Amino acid sequence: MDLYDPMMHVSSWIRQVGNLGLDLLWRFIHIVVSLWYIVFGIFEAIESYAISLGFDERYNSIDIKKLRCLAVAVDIADARDVANVIELLQWLTTIGVKQVGLYDSQGLLKKSKDLVLATVPGSFLLEENGKNDFSPDEKRIAIEFISSSDNKEAVMKAANILLQRYLKSSPPENDKGENFFTESHLSEALRVVGDNGHVPDLLLVYGPIRSHLGFPAWRLRYTEIVHMGSLKYMRYGSLLKAIHKFTGVRQNYGT
Amino acid sequence: MLYLLCFLLSLLSLLLLPCLRPCFHAKKSLKDEKEIDERTYVVGEEEPPTGLRRDLMPRHVAVIMDGNRRWAKQAGLLTSQGHEAGAKRLIELLELCFKLGINTVSAFAFSTENWGRHKIEVNCLMSLMQHYLESKTQYFQREETRVSVIGNLTKIPESLLHKIHKIEKATKCYKKKHLILAIDYSGRFDIMHACKSIVKKSEQGLIREEDVDEKLFERELLTKCTEFPSPDLLIRTSGEQRISNFFLWQLAYTELFFSPVLWPDFDKKKLLEALVSYQRRERRFGCRL
Repeated sequence: MDLYDPMMHVSSWIRQVGNLGLDLLWRFIHIVVSLWYIVFGIFEAIESYAISLGFDERYNSIDIKKLRCLAVAVDIADARDVANVIELLQWLTTIGVKQVGLYDSQGLLKKSKDLVLATVPGSFLLEENGKNDFSPDEKRIAIEFISSSDNKEAVMKAANILLQRYLKSSPPENDKGENFFTESHLSEALRVVGDNGHVPDLLLVYGPIRSHLGFPAWRLRYTEIVHMGSLKYMRYGSLLKAIHKFTGVRQNYGT
Repeated sequence: MLYLLCFLLSLLSLLLLPCLRPCFHAKKSLKDEKEIDERTYVVGEEEPPTGLRRDLMPRHVAVIMDGNRRWAKQAGLLTSQGHEAGAKRLIELLELCFKLGINTVSAFAFSTENWGRHKIEVNCLMSLMQHYLESKTQYFQREETRVSVIGNLTKIPESLLHKIHKIEKATKCYKKKHLILAIDYSGRFDIMHACKSIVKKSEQGLIREEDVDEKLFERELLTKCTEFPSPDLLIRTSGEQRISNFFLWQLAYTELFFSPVLWPDFDKKKLLEALVSYQRRERRFGCRL
């Protein structure tokens, strides 16, 4: 019993020292990883500036024809700063992108539609039928404004339209609707509810997390998704790099 | 100059701030010292995933197992051997996920578009799936893991369909751990299937047109077999950065992790990397915080 208390004190002291050691080790690892990310970030920034200044010849001529439709998903925190969005659109116009779908989940950019169209030179609202009446050489850009109401809500409304049509057609008892519910029918119903249905080849996501932020699911089947970080720290070089990388992608489409 | 100054200041703060925090813990009672911090994995317990927190583990992880053919080509092996290696890797990943507390795992085993591959490869894949479902039934029962197969199962061979029904029946009683295999699956087909299901129920008078909303729609998707149909984390290997018609509806706010590694090489270390990346993110599910 006499030995018990000192023994407990010693083991308690050992445990404390052990905890301290582990704590310091964890903090050391944390510092190393943070330093790594800082160095990586600096390298990316330097590379981006080099690309912007035209030092890397690979990015001076991009086959932009491969990018028929680009989509940009912006986090709601970033979407509030429309100036950055406008600058991004101006960069895209410079690069030669002809069609952009601009998305944020809350529809903040939809509300700023008039400001965006008035400020971005050569911009106009994408028509429903997708026909853009301008020559490829013109520095013009068609913009579509999308929000989360164009995602699941739109699919719901389209599903309702199909349901109503199916029921009105008075189908025979054994009919399971195989000929009525096809992908093309749903696509057509989506157009009725206002979803233009332009399928983007590339989706750039600006925000703190790597998800597509609720971009219309029906359109995302084979879309390349690239996370670009926060819009506040966007760089022209990074944008050019992402688009250039996309032009080199080869899809098998599952085959 | 300003940029350099910011860099130096941030470096200094990284070095100093953690050290300012008291490193000595308050003296605990004997009872407290014996308790393990439930939030953090104890170092030394089954090869510690450094920095992972149990309470931030994703509930549902989905994987697109891409790169088997390329892996086989690089290794000088047959495509079938690549798929075999991929299947083994899936089982390993499954074991690891369950050990880490991730109770639902979905795997994109065969997409509708894969029917366009060479017939020999398709037959090989069907045989491989059949073999694994048959040979692993006891394993899943022993591990108390429920196995569900989702997809358009009308085109798959009868023998494979039989194995699927057998394993689903044998494991349907297990509630905690769940493996969802997507075979002949297409995200668009899933959405269409939900539409048809709603029509059927509407015809039977079970639902009215005005009841059709997002929640009801989600309950009609093929992922209705699980309590957590929307994955928290999607991992796609081989460097491709797209979701390729997988879980289109379900992935709205899923963290996407694109790994450059080919699937048979996606080992424990890579999985932990994905989980650390996931735990570092701040997901808002489209809402303002």
